[in-house]
Amino acid sequence: MTVVSAFLVPGNPLPCLKPDALTWGRLVGAMQRAGRALAASRPDAVLVYSTQWFAVLDQQWLTRPRSQGIHVDENWYEFGEMPYDIHADAELAYACVAGSPKQGVHARGINYDQFPIDSGTISACTLLGMGTESTPLVVASNNLYHNGETTEKLAALAVQCAAEQNKRVAVVGIGGLSGSLFRTEIEPHADRLASQQEDEWNQKVLRLIEAGDISQLRQLLPDYTREARVDMGFKHFHWVLGALHGRFMGARVHGYGPIYGSGAAVIEFNL
Amino acid sequence: MSDGEIIAGFLAPHPPHLVYGENPPQNEPRSQGGWETLRWAYEKARASLDAMKPDVLLVHSPHWITSVGHHFLAVRRLSGKSVDPIFPNLFRYSFAMDVDVELAEMCADEGRKLGLVTKLMRNPNFRVDYGTITTLHMIRPQWDIPVVGLSANNTPYYLNTKEGLAEMDVLGKATREAIRKSGRKAVLLASNTFSHWHFHEEPAIPEDMSQEHPQTMEGYQWDMRMIDLLRKGRMKEFFKLQPQFIEEAFSETKSGAFTWMHAAMGYPELPGEFYGYGTVIGTGNAIMEWNLRKAGLSRLDPPEAESRGASSFHDSRGTSGHFSLNP
Repeated sequence: MTVVSAFLVPGNPLPCLKPDALTWGRLVGAMQRAGRALAASRPDAVLVYSTQWFAVLDQQWLTRPRSQGIHVDENWYEFGEMPYDIHADAELAYACVAGSPKQGVHARGINYDQFPIDSGTISACTLLGMGTESTPLVVASNNLYHNGETTEKLAALAVQCAAEQNKRVAVVGIGGLSGSLFRTEIEPHADRLASQQEDEWNQKVLRLIEAGDISQLRQLLPDYTREARVDMGFKHFHWVLGALHGRFMGARVHGYGPIYGSGAAVIEFNL
Repeated sequence: MSDGEIIAGFLAPHPPHLVYGENPPQNEPRSQGGWETLRWAYEKARASLDAMKPDVLLVHSPHWITSVGHHFLAVRRLSGKSVDPIFPNLFRYSFAMDVDVELAEMCADEGRKLGLVTKLMRNPNFRVDYGTITTLHMIRPQWDIPVVGLSANNTPYYLNTKEGLAEMDVLGKATREAIRKSGRKAVLLASNTFSHWHFHEEPAIPEDMSQEHPQTMEGYQWDMRMIDLLRKGRMKEFFKLQPQFIEEAFSETKSGAFTWMHAAMGYPELPGEFYGYGTVIGTGNAIMEWNLRKAGLSRLDPPEAESRGASSFHDSRGTSGHFSLNP
């Protein structure tokens, strides 16, 4: 079996930067539990898609073997820095670059000193404990012009490339649920979902994910993404779906809560 | 202290290709040139700016996107390497800039007085976005004038164009008042592209100008129509058409810099000096100047008239601000 585990986790860096805030701290705990499950699945590499790595030209894949630095989020700089040291499976990433045109997608590798790795990828690496020498990543950008279907194809391609290299992979989609944010400063300890309607939508979709009801999910996704302003059209979920060839048995929601009014969940899929 | 002055405002777009084409020592990648007509237009803008001898440059960049309020760079000296996340093959630039922190603080204060959420970015490890750096390099490659960098709050995208640009109008008025009180002689830079439809694949040689052209005829025609209004100083017409321009040409003025700049300048019905136009991966870019000093309009009066027609608001999303629907 090529895919040995799969997860959906938030990309907003606030839990990572300020875990002492109650609801964000709970998400940190959930991420750490998911990270233990990821480690226990003993992947050779982790296939990552982060909604916060924007691309508009081509599909970008991180091919730099090791990326190190100190990242400062453009919104949440007052809460400090995010040091990172991320290992990538360059061999597998190059295979993804080479294979993308078969999916009709022009692609390029990204191997530059101090390339701005996005907050979502860094936050997920820190809290899940991935991107180490033993759990190197293949990171795919979020091309803003790609839809869910293309994202699924790219994920399937990455799994196929891993299979050709006889590698076991974990899959991680990094991004949020509902998208309404508070637009004025709030006390982190007083965070809550900004919209009750979006909260209800999130919970409905989480129940379907837990139940593994994929056909109902696929039916609801267009309404959900529109009504709940879901982060980047929920393409990070499509990434997971594509890697799993559209099938999973159910899921465990390790955590669900608000991040500055938006919805966030930590989900481990049952394969 | 004498009252401050807004000497001029420039439309100063930020395609990193222009830095790449110039091959300055700060940028790692080397090119064979390219986009000369735009770079030569910037040469004229540089010469004009040089003669102004401003105390400070203020730049509003669409590539520092913030969701809670309008942010200002507020660290005395910022330096580092900025790698463009979209075009890392073209732009890997070592920057160092002095920030006019006092003016940044005054801008933030004035914004708060008008009901905006404002924040000061005081983290010394912050990496300045490539939009800010490209605009500043292209207008003043010597980097010898202090700057104030403003973020692009995402209200125009998160809510809608009308509310978003109304907020930028207030931000401009706050900026104007801060400059007045500071006594600074300031130049404003709107880091906007016009039509923003672009190619989805890059030519094998990025500077191969045989591949460069407007992405759409509609975008080009919109650009010419709007530039013509600006050349003639028909600003009211420009701003009346701007929402349609944004909708139909995907104009990057949606991010607010152009509205911010003209609000700060008091929306003068003044012909802009046109320095040049060109496309970059299909997007439309114009370099223009509004010289208020030459026109006798650079003096800043207290804003009593500007409070008329304004109103505060709060909405169900927890958004707050202070709108003026003028112009």
